[in-house]
Amino acid sequence: MTDKTMKKTLLYICAGLLTFSTAFGQGLDRSVRPESGPAPEIQIGQPATFTLANGLKVFVVENDKLPRVSFSLTIPRDPVLEKDKAGLSSMVSQLMNRGTTTRTKEQLDEEKDFIGASVSASSSGGYGSSLKKHQDKMLELMTDLLYNPAFPEEELDKIKKQALSGIALQKNDPNAIASNIVRRLVYGDHPYGELDSEETLNNITVEDIKNYYKTYFKPSNAYLVIVGDITKKEAEQVAKKHFSKWPKGTIPTFEYEKPKAPAKTMVALHDRPSSVQSVINVSYPIELSLNSPDYIKTRVLSYILGGGSSSRMFMNLREDKGYTYGAYASIGSDRLVAAVNASASVRTEVTDSAVYEIMYELRRIVDEKVTQEELDAAKAYLSGSFGRSLESPSTIAGFALNVERYNLPKDFYANYLKSLDAVTIEDVQQVAKKYIRPDNAYIVIVGNTGEFKDKVARFGEVKMYDIYGNEEVPSDSKIDASVTAESVINKYIDAIGGRAKLEAIKSVEMITSAEIQGMTIETTTLKEQPGKLALSVKVGGNTVQNVVLNGDKAKISSGGQSQMLEGAQVAPFKSGALIFPELDYLKEGYKLVLEDIKSVEGKDAYRVKVSVPGGVSMVEYYDVESGLKLQTESAQGNAIYRDYKAVEGVLFSFFQLATNPQIPMPLETKVTSLKVNTQIDAATFKVD
Amino acid sequence: MRKISLLVSLLCLLTLSTFAQKKIAFEEFTLDNGLRVIMHQDNATPIVAVSVLYHVGSKNENPERTGFAHFFEHLLFEGSENLDRGEYMKVIQSAGGTLNAFTSSDQTYYYQIMPSNELELALYMESERMLHAKIDQTGVETQREVVKEEKRQSYDNRPYGSLLPETLKRAYKVHPYQWPPIGSLEHLNAASLEEFMAFYETFYVPNNAILTIAGDIDPKQTKDWVKKYFSEVPKGTKTIPRPTVVEPAIDGEIRDVIYDNIQLPAVVQAYHMPKKTDKDYYTFQMISSILSGGNSSRMNKELVDNQQKAVGVAALPLDLEDGGLFILYGITAQGVEASELEPEMDKVIDELKNTLVPEKEFQKLQNQIENSVVSGNSSIEGITQALAEAKLYRGDADYINNIWDEYKKVTREDIQRVAREYFKKDSRVVLYYLPKPSEDK
Repeated sequence: MTDKTMKKTLLYICAGLLTFSTAFGQGLDRSVRPESGPAPEIQIGQPATFTLANGLKVFVVENDKLPRVSFSLTIPRDPVLEKDKAGLSSMVSQLMNRGTTTRTKEQLDEEKDFIGASVSASSSGGYGSSLKKHQDKMLELMTDLLYNPAFPEEELDKIKKQALSGIALQKNDPNAIASNIVRRLVYGDHPYGELDSEETLNNITVEDIKNYYKTYFKPSNAYLVIVGDITKKEAEQVAKKHFSKWPKGTIPTFEYEKPKAPAKTMVALHDRPSSVQSVINVSYPIELSLNSPDYIKTRVLSYILGGGSSSRMFMNLREDKGYTYGAYASIGSDRLVAAVNASASVRTEVTDSAVYEIMYELRRIVDEKVTQEELDAAKAYLSGSFGRSLESPSTIAGFALNVERYNLPKDFYANYLKSLDAVTIEDVQQVAKKYIRPDNAYIVIVGNTGEFKDKVARFGEVKMYDIYGNEEVPSDSKIDASVTAESVINKYIDAIGGRAKLEAIKSVEMITSAEIQGMTIETTTLKEQPGKLALSVKVGGNTVQNVVLNGDKAKISSGGQSQMLEGAQVAPFKSGALIFPELDYLKEGYKLVLEDIKSVEGKDAYRVKVSVPGGVSMVEYYDVESGLKLQTESAQGNAIYRDYKAVEGVLFSFFQLATNPQIPMPLETKVTSLKVNTQIDAATFKVD
Repeated sequence: MRKISLLVSLLCLLTLSTFAQKKIAFEEFTLDNGLRVIMHQDNATPIVAVSVLYHVGSKNENPERTGFAHFFEHLLFEGSENLDRGEYMKVIQSAGGTLNAFTSSDQTYYYQIMPSNELELALYMESERMLHAKIDQTGVETQREVVKEEKRQSYDNRPYGSLLPETLKRAYKVHPYQWPPIGSLEHLNAASLEEFMAFYETFYVPNNAILTIAGDIDPKQTKDWVKKYFSEVPKGTKTIPRPTVVEPAIDGEIRDVIYDNIQLPAVVQAYHMPKKTDKDYYTFQMISSILSGGNSSRMNKELVDNQQKAVGVAALPLDLEDGGLFILYGITAQGVEASELEPEMDKVIDELKNTLVPEKEFQKLQNQIENSVVSGNSSIEGITQALAEAKLYRGDADYINNIWDEYKKVTREDIQRVAREYFKKDSRVVLYYLPKPSEDK
């Protein structure tokens, strides 16, 4: 044995030993995953059924695992277009729970809670569940709500008030805003697209509610599902006792035009400047009902695209890119009209990249076939969740109800797993081509749109929306073709006195006063051109801060401590030293963009985006009529200017309303003294 | 008068005696490495739930590294020696299962629900991440971004989202409960891979975990598989740090204002509670129900319905191992100031201290609790979690079968005593949430 082979052999032995010892220690080859056991048989029970003389069809699922029982009533009917009374059916539902001819709301609540039951009625049904031993009392309460609503006027006032507070709550919830816009765009004038507002809620009267109840609350075609610790025999007795006296009748039917997907993909934005994340939804309407032959295929498609945490959207946007906490897609189904929706909440900076990835995934699933592995995984997942859903006895009742309502084949659910297993790769692509429409979608984004508005324009035409999903038309007034950002600035300069007079002002001494939480803040500002600024802030008579700028040097003093500022820190003070910064706007390095016309305090104003050299930008509003500056928005906050008065022939704003995230209340600042071209002691601007 | 109350108490006795909590039967054993195992058989549906409860939460964190426990929960889905990055969820879901996890101040809980023929796979998967989870730089960096987005979504971008962190920060001065499980993003940014590995080796060990299996199982086979996959996981060798500091009582009311992106102001009040295992635990749960359980509860009836000063109210016990918080909050109705709502909330609390809960209301309370105890064990996953937590905090999984008995011991006098003892105005945190005055809503 040569030295070399010896070494080699030793190496082999060592390696062998190592493997051996590990194998011995583990006794288990962990690189091989356990095989599945034989698939368990999935049994789907059949509920007992019977029909009462008034047309009410009853399903009974007996399950005595827990001593509980539930009764669920559904009246299937077409949705009703509520128009200027949007919110009516929801008010009907709420008011039905707020008093019967024999019980006040307080008594109802007390009696329900006393037996620990959950009992409620709605404009299209009702629900009651309790421990078995409280069944009689629970049914007594439930049927009282269903048959004897009193619709008390004062309760309507209360629920209106609460609904209005609810609307107020939504105003700041980016998800609620997004859902409003999606609904309005996707469903348009269909009843599914209606939104309540303060106005429509206030239009609703008790009379409307009574009429609605009288017209639509009838047992014909209705279903009662009883689940729990109850035999069929007992269910029959109970149903007869509580539901057979309910008089039958016909309910009006309606047909609506189906909402259409947009001809071209467009981008709908809502500006919420305080957002740190953008809520993105890509959505459009589709026609897909449970009884469509495409239904099961679209479940597979939906899962592969974005149904869970192994799906493409999640793997791409979260696990690969880290843009979001979760990204999902769903393909809805409904008797009338449903929607496809792909969504994610992502950090503001990656908004356009995230939209790109979502659109990429939508296109990819149409253009390319899914893999066998994806298909198998999707089938396994869907079979698994089907199996899990059977843990709840109400699932079986739900199945029976669906078969009935959607005219499904009787063995639809018994064959569900078989049908699922039969779905092929080609089937998935075929339904993808039919239902996934990246070129006919609404891309709805709620966020700090200033940060990404330009970048998302590549996905389609961009329009702005308010929180109710109405398009924000900038203003009725259109910008005249002759108006440019430059002309707006020049008009302003002319309006306050003209370039010559402005340039002649070399110094300003201004004292302002504001009140915050009972304390007076007095600020003295001295400016001398070029490049000198002295600022002194007094609170309750004590100086709390001094700032002095002279050329490139600045000093800030506060509470006996001073600090010299350098470089970039000096920049904001430099622009603050300008008496009329607008005089510089037309110089090189500045960038002006005339955006549109918006309303500021009831006046039409040109909105101009100003980018200052060095990258800082702000948005300014100039009165279309007078030319005066009405408002500034910047990272430092927001200021509104009012009360322009002339000093030496030049107009200055004598009242400012400032808001910024650091101050709790809007700060009303009044100018108490303003002098121009006075001699200022040179020592005032001494920095060292 | 006397007659009626006698009748009520009679009724009360009657109801209590007719109900026997449905017993959850289970078997237990402990492996040599210290892993505690609980099994509950229920063959009604062909599914099985497998969970691992690790006794580590944000309270075990280094104050310079907050958010670690929760971050780790994310990392443990990254993979193991035998599971590539991103494969964990895929394997479970492709086997027809579902999975998730959560982290609290006290614990980290992982669970999977699988078709029952995939039990062995489920056990293998959990054992993989207990034995040799694989954590690399790519995984750490991706999950950092994900957690940042989770924080933005759940706290920063959500109205009133900062309620819990802001309350904790003021209610705890020395105990690590002062930070929420989401922790600090700066801390996570500063943490190195080595620190994550050290955290894993300290806390993610069998002697700090409870494995629970429930559903359509064969207990003997299950036990064999548990041994096969878990007995080779080595016992932890490091000392597991647990906070020993005792949070002193709040000395003088702490009052503050938070400005948030909201439309309606809110009032938050928080009082210290005793440890989770304290005898008064159930009393606090009942007080929560008296105050905000159901429409006829005191806060709902009085503040929302009668006075219409609030649109929503809640009284929630945040029960924690070392002593949590009883938190009350109310969101004001439109046009109502926080300062108008607060005194009414105080009145509701004072009423508890000054007057015994009337017998009829007490009866209602017991009925409500009975309903929730019965309904509590309706899912296999729910049973799994309840068994594991009873084992961890009470040292006895059988505790879940005695919950109703524990509730029955609570008297009306207990409720009054607890209210007097714990709800002290000079020993609480009060926060006002007010709308941030901002330009463009």
